[in-house]
Amino acid sequence: MARMKWICDAERCIECNACATACKNEHEIPWGVNRRRVVTLNDGVPGERSISVACMHCTDAPCMAVCPVDCFYRTDDQIVLHDKDLCIGCGYCYYACPFGAPQFPQAGAFGLRGKMDKCTYCAGGPEENFSVEEFRKYGRNRIAEGKLPLCAEMCSTKALIAGDSAVIAKIYKTRVATRGKGEELWGWKTAYLAASDKVSDNLGEANA
Amino acid sequence: MKTFYAALCAAAVLAACHEIPQDKAKPYAGKEDVRPYAGDLFKGDKQKFEQTLAARADHENEYLRTGDAKK
Repeated sequence: MARMKWICDAERCIECNACATACKNEHEIPWGVNRRRVVTLNDGVPGERSISVACMHCTDAPCMAVCPVDCFYRTDDQIVLHDKDLCIGCGYCYYACPFGAPQFPQAGAFGLRGKMDKCTYCAGGPEENFSVEEFRKYGRNRIAEGKLPLCAEMCSTKALIAGDSAVIAKIYKTRVATRGKGEELWGWKTAYLAASDKVSDNLGEANA
Repeated sequence: MKTFYAALCAAAVLAACHEIPQDKAKPYAGKEDVRPYAGDLFKGDKQKFEQTLAARADHENEYLRTGDAKK
């Protein structure tokens, strides 16, 4: 069974913001809501690094744990989605999320919060696939079309890659081996490899 | 006897140190979602659906396309 994840390669991201723009355009996301954004560390300093951040569809999602109305669910492909009909816009998920993924559109005067909106991994939500309702509430359902999230598919430098964790970990491994760099790279030890894989799946094997 | 009481006290004190699971599995209370491969495109064929996604993910690997990967 697939476990859909992202990897953003900080060595490749050029902070073009095309991923964020593509996401906004694809799902017709309103002002003030950013399902994806690019974060730059040490901006303007030589050696600055950028990464594209959105919902990471955590394996053990804190948003799911804190939601008082239990509106989150996980699909067969391990994508974390939520039911907007149930969401009360309390904002607990926003405080729980380490990535700042949950977004809240302004729903009225005095900063009244609307229902939570977040990256759906382009997988829509709990409505009939490709329906008008699904698009209105959650955006386009590319996964049901057999496509990956647009942000990753159109990334010009392929800094952002999406797909089954096993596949994208292999892609990243190939990159690391080709660059001639090792495990000091961001994310290599922490991203998407089981502990048992880390021993055998190191660069030594790739260079052999 | 002294050792027995010491062990008993230690057991009683340490009993509070075990970890209590705090993440109780919560049921999803919302609407049921349709499987992404249930539509006309995949006609419920999960394997075909996963193969399609894996092929697209592989397409993100330009080293595979150009054959420039370090062997």
